[in-house]
Amino acid sequence: MSESRLSRLLRPVVPSLFWFISLPGALSAADLPDDHAARMKAGLGAFDAEIRAVLNDHCLKCHGGAKTKGEFDLAVREGLLKGGADGPSVVPFHPEKSRLLKMLRHEEEPYMPENKPRLPDSVIEKIAAWIGNGAPYSAPLVAGRKEERDRSKVTDEDRSWWAFQPLGAPAVPPGTAAHPVDRFLAAKAAGKGPAPEADRRTLVRRATLDLTGLPPTPEEVTEFLEDQKPGAWERLIDRLLARPAYGERWARHWMDVARYGESSGFEQDYDRTGSYHYRDFLIDAFNRDLPFPEFVRLQLAADEYRPGDVRSLAATAFLTLGVFPTQITVNELERVRYEDMDDMLSTTGSAFLGLTVGCARCHDHKFDPIPSRDYYRMLATFTGTVRSEPELDLNPEETARKKAEWRGKLDAATTSVRQREAELRRTLEQFLERDLPSFPAVEGWAVWGAAPQPGTWERREDGSLSSKAAPASGKLQWEGALACENVHGFRVEAMSDRDLPGGGAGHAKNGTFEVRTVRVERENPDGSWTAVNLANAIAGSSGADLLPEGKGWKGTAKGGVAAWKFEQAQLGSGHWRVQMEVGQGGKAAPGRIRLAFLLGADSKLDAEWMDERVAALLQQKQRPGTAFEAQQHLEGWWFRRDPEYRKRDAARVSLAGAEPKGLTKVLVGSESFPAVRYHTAGGAVETYKETFFLKRGNVGLKDGVATPGFLQALSRAPETRWNWNPPAGATYAGKRRQLAEWILDAESGAGALSARVFVNRLWQHHFGRGIVSSPNDFGKSGVAPTHPELLDWLASEFLKTGGGIKAMHRLLMTSAAYRQACIKDPEAIAADPDNQYFLRRVPRRLEAEAVRDSVLAVSGRLDPTLYGPPVSAEETPRRSVYLRVKRSKLLNTMVSFDQPEPLVSQGIRPTTTVTPQALMLLNSRLVRDSATAFASRIRKLTGDNAPIAAQVAAGYRLALGREPEPDERQMAVEFLSAESARSGGKTGLAEWCQVLLELNEFAYLP
Amino acid sequence: MNPTFFSRREALMRAGGGLGWLACAALLDKTGWNAMAASGNPLAPKRPPLQPRAKSVIWIFANGGPSQVDTWDYKPELQKRDGQTLEGFDPKTGFFPGSAGALMKSPFEWAQHGASGTWGSDLFPHLNRHVDKMAFVHSCWTGSNNHSPALFMMNTGITRMGSPCVGSWVTYGLGSEAESLPSFVVMSDPLNRGLPKGNALNWGAGFLPSVYQGTWLKPSGEPIENLKPEIAGNTQRAQLDLLGRLNRRGLAESPIESELSARIESFELAYRMQTAAPEAFAIHEEPEHIKTAYGIGTQHCGHFAAQCLMARRMVERGVRFVQIYSGGMENQQSWDCHSDLVGNHRGFALEADQPVAALLADLEQRGMLKDTLVVWAGEFGRTPVAQKAAKPGRDHNPHAFTAWMAGGGVKGGVHYGETDEVGYKAVRDKVHVRDFHATLLALLGLDHEKLSFRFQGLDQRLTGVESARVITDLFA
Repeated sequence: MSESRLSRLLRPVVPSLFWFISLPGALSAADLPDDHAARMKAGLGAFDAEIRAVLNDHCLKCHGGAKTKGEFDLAVREGLLKGGADGPSVVPFHPEKSRLLKMLRHEEEPYMPENKPRLPDSVIEKIAAWIGNGAPYSAPLVAGRKEERDRSKVTDEDRSWWAFQPLGAPAVPPGTAAHPVDRFLAAKAAGKGPAPEADRRTLVRRATLDLTGLPPTPEEVTEFLEDQKPGAWERLIDRLLARPAYGERWARHWMDVARYGESSGFEQDYDRTGSYHYRDFLIDAFNRDLPFPEFVRLQLAADEYRPGDVRSLAATAFLTLGVFPTQITVNELERVRYEDMDDMLSTTGSAFLGLTVGCARCHDHKFDPIPSRDYYRMLATFTGTVRSEPELDLNPEETARKKAEWRGKLDAATTSVRQREAELRRTLEQFLERDLPSFPAVEGWAVWGAAPQPGTWERREDGSLSSKAAPASGKLQWEGALACENVHGFRVEAMSDRDLPGGGAGHAKNGTFEVRTVRVERENPDGSWTAVNLANAIAGSSGADLLPEGKGWKGTAKGGVAAWKFEQAQLGSGHWRVQMEVGQGGKAAPGRIRLAFLLGADSKLDAEWMDERVAALLQQKQRPGTAFEAQQHLEGWWFRRDPEYRKRDAARVSLAGAEPKGLTKVLVGSESFPAVRYHTAGGAVETYKETFFLKRGNVGLKDGVATPGFLQALSRAPETRWNWNPPAGATYAGKRRQLAEWILDAESGAGALSARVFVNRLWQHHFGRGIVSSPNDFGKSGVAPTHPELLDWLASEFLKTGGGIKAMHRLLMTSAAYRQACIKDPEAIAADPDNQYFLRRVPRRLEAEAVRDSVLAVSGRLDPTLYGPPVSAEETPRRSVYLRVKRSKLLNTMVSFDQPEPLVSQGIRPTTTVTPQALMLLNSRLVRDSATAFASRIRKLTGDNAPIAAQVAAGYRLALGREPEPDERQMAVEFLSAESARSGGKTGLAEWCQVLLELNEFAYLP
Repeated sequence: MNPTFFSRREALMRAGGGLGWLACAALLDKTGWNAMAASGNPLAPKRPPLQPRAKSVIWIFANGGPSQVDTWDYKPELQKRDGQTLEGFDPKTGFFPGSAGALMKSPFEWAQHGASGTWGSDLFPHLNRHVDKMAFVHSCWTGSNNHSPALFMMNTGITRMGSPCVGSWVTYGLGSEAESLPSFVVMSDPLNRGLPKGNALNWGAGFLPSVYQGTWLKPSGEPIENLKPEIAGNTQRAQLDLLGRLNRRGLAESPIESELSARIESFELAYRMQTAAPEAFAIHEEPEHIKTAYGIGTQHCGHFAAQCLMARRMVERGVRFVQIYSGGMENQQSWDCHSDLVGNHRGFALEADQPVAALLADLEQRGMLKDTLVVWAGEFGRTPVAQKAAKPGRDHNPHAFTAWMAGGGVKGGVHYGETDEVGYKAVRDKVHVRDFHATLLALLGLDHEKLSFRFQGLDQRLTGVESARVITDLFA
């Protein structure tokens, strides 16, 4: 017997169903007599008493033993029913339809047993009766042969699996306990009740950690202890459920189930910056008690239920959070697409149905009634569903408000600039009138107005020129007169521009540029040109680099500047020509350029600049004439000389570039947005119009088009019941909505199962183990429920309240079972070592997030900010739910405290105790900083000179919600005095605080 | 073996009041095995019930399932019948029933090596020089033809996830002789090719106390994070003393006493590890000739050489059980040669051959090989028939695979068990994984029938409920 089969048999199954697991699929419900169960039992008796021997002695040798004649193999029941080459000869429960009997009676050829005497009538009649009783086998006739069945068919027996049953109306068992949950538990435990109730300090700590993932503050402890009125416990639960921290904690539980990650995994593990909106959706959903049906609907089909509701759209990331390869070849595309859909379906199956639907991808499910065809029909739900990251405004009202606010600020800044300009115009007039004649020799950069060829160049305010096209020739050339005279050098600036690729400075990839050579020439009086020798090349700091020989330079998208001094000063005025050879045959040309000549000998790259005509004017010490059309150039130069103007203008410019967009990338799963594209060779599309049945999961073996459908085993009505057609013109397909409705349909669909699965998850987190301890597997390879009636009752209560999650927390937490004290009771442990009855409370270690958050909370460092982009550094004081989940770089603290890898849906976390956890608490930056902050917090609370005992008491209250016992206080005092003596004055309070954060008591949910 | 372990310990804790095991440990001779055990440290060395032949294990886990008929199980008949159909071959043997082809001869060159005349393929030119140290088991078989169940089987004795693995059982049974290092260390592929399927469950402690869990060394960066103490040593020692005293208050009354004790111990181990681990990992301190022998710094095997050398340094320092995964997750990331058998096996053999050979030589020259059992095994074998592909491979085969052991009290140059003439199924002296486990435990002085732990009302064992056989023929 194989291991898997063995383990299956060892597991509790519903015993009465066991022996007819192999009922024929061919038999429709109509052919199945009402008393088939009883008849099968009788048939089984006959099989063991006589039939087995008859089959062995007279049939097996030729049919399944040494030979298998006529392809008829009756060694196993499946073979008997399947029949041979001529088709079935046995119809269970219907001897009259069974041709085998006619052959045995020699009424029809071939007579059987072949070439042997006819069997006695009494034997034949016994066989007939056995067939009439369903022809059951207790075991194969040949040892080691497995009873195999046709798993492509779903039978009524399959549907009778406990988890697939309707909920009915389970009655609360009679008993003395006040709470229904306790009555169910007692009924199972022969009336035995729970352990005594825990003390109130323990209760407030338990409830607070359980619901919020944070320890109670001393004030919260006091509030509960002092509330002596009836209903104090209920009021505490309500207070905790109302805290935003509740959603942060319980969202994280669901994130395990939803394999939540913020990157694609595989080769490049690209960040998916839009994932976190899903996490924020969850936090918000739990906090506002989104009813369970809505919780399901939004995650599967928010766009189809609430078209236009951008905020809910983030919920559909549930479908697309899975890993996805980012480097795929064309012939892998289709396979990868099926894998992606498989991830959507498998996760949906595990999360909402507690079924390993994905197992039916390559073959009919080995244990559960999920034929491969059901898998592909369900998979077809996601035929067009793709992973997208559209930029959306999740909060248009807020964006409008922010925009209005920004516009106001910008207007004020502009007004302030204009005011200064008005003042400066007056001083400019004064300058021109009075100071210009005595103005000293002008220095700085004179910007040349000549435009390069080829290309269409647009002039910007700062005198630069911008072109949207790169020169195909690979060369740029400027030529023209320079208004000013006596120049000493030459400068080229490449500047970033909104019209260039990626808003960069050049036409090359990523907005970079490269200028190979720069040549400057001056026209001689005879019309010939002489090259001006360049020397002393310098390049600007913003990422620009001179090329090796100093004749060219290259830079990043931010732009850059390079300058050369002339070997000899060029006196007088003249015509100039500048030639540039640009990299990559022109493709690396800078796209926005400003050329300038150096006035004066000092060649600082960032010295003052002015238009060439302003420079000429200053050189000539003349007021501009009317011909000088650009008074603004003069004004521009004058304004820039004013520090106050520069300050105001800089403020205006920076504001102008900071218009609130309100757009954010959102990870979505739908048919409505283009799919995120990766390095797909050939640029082929990644979705297909149809989903096919695949043999063995192989895209090369297509077997017809699969139309969307549901699991037969869970459907008790024609599938048209869940039909829903999207309105005309909708971009979505409506299929996901149908799936959601089927999942939620407790009457005829999977609603009973989905309610059981979800309620079981809530129970699991409150009680440490689910009623079904395999929360993601309610199928036959899962673990049977310890309290099926209780689970059904909880599920029906859950549905009665419309799927109120907070109501379910209240219900579970008000039971006596939840409030039990953690007591070591050897008798109870011996009687129920695994706590199957839930009549003991066992402390359990807090999850990774709760450990880390508790450390931060107690130290007073915890940043309670809700929502937002993920934070990468483990040291952040934000709650752990906001830590980045980059699949290739999972965070040490989270992993070592058992946060699962986000690859597939995870329903349970293991609890390990490993050295990395201790090392984290001993040495990590986070814990050290928190211990120091914790100590300061204590000093602040108690006063610097407070007695050690007071500080110790404060520490215990903050960390553990209780007073220290005398021996604990004594140990603390000893530690602190020894530390103080050792270090010569340092108190050691932080080191003592760290010990509190390391205590078992601190890290365990009581 | 010792179901009363914790109750005895509880008794001691009660009797001793606040006297912790550390205080005891300081008073005891390091060699006082059982005295240490009685002191309450779950990792204290324990004297094994049988005469131990080996003290530690280095298990090279050839992840993905290497092909027996291309490595150490020479099949002349297979070479002859290349291209013929294998009568009686069950297409469901492997993972891809539709892709099974005809018999495919080993594409590698074979020759006899050593005094034992052991046949080895040219995949392992270095290891072939050590065949006289190795005991080959050619008749291994297992219970699953799929990676993670087979990995779990090989590591935990059962195909389901969540049971304690061999390293945990061994550490549970023997304790640790490394006071300051993890007793059970696992190293995975450092070339970003993934973890074995099932990830950390392959070195989990299952239902055993979690102190027996394997410590996974991060394949890149600092192997263990937060290892560097931030506080002066004596202050940290004082912190831990206080922590231990506080944690032991009321410990005996806790319903999860053993779990909490493990947590107390984990702090002590962490404290000692701060200095011991960096020292153990410092392979750069090895002399040049050693580094060269392993292949440290080379392109083809430098990464694996570093892991093998680190394994030797750890065993030298008392680490009980080291497992090194050769290869990453599956398919071409590991020995899982569904296609391109030649490229796949050449690649992974090249990575492992020189370092493992150097490890054997190094252990021998230090006199450590007699106490150190080196194991080479994957989770299953491969089919003698081809898996059809442009470059053919071989599919999974649970019916036969070859494992070898060296050192640690096994005979050298011996061969146990046989497969059929083409290497499809083990036919003579079949060795189930549980027999292999029983043998491994026996070499360490542990009795697989007595090494047990009470869980879910049963005395659980590595070898499970079915009988397992110790292959004493391998013992020197």
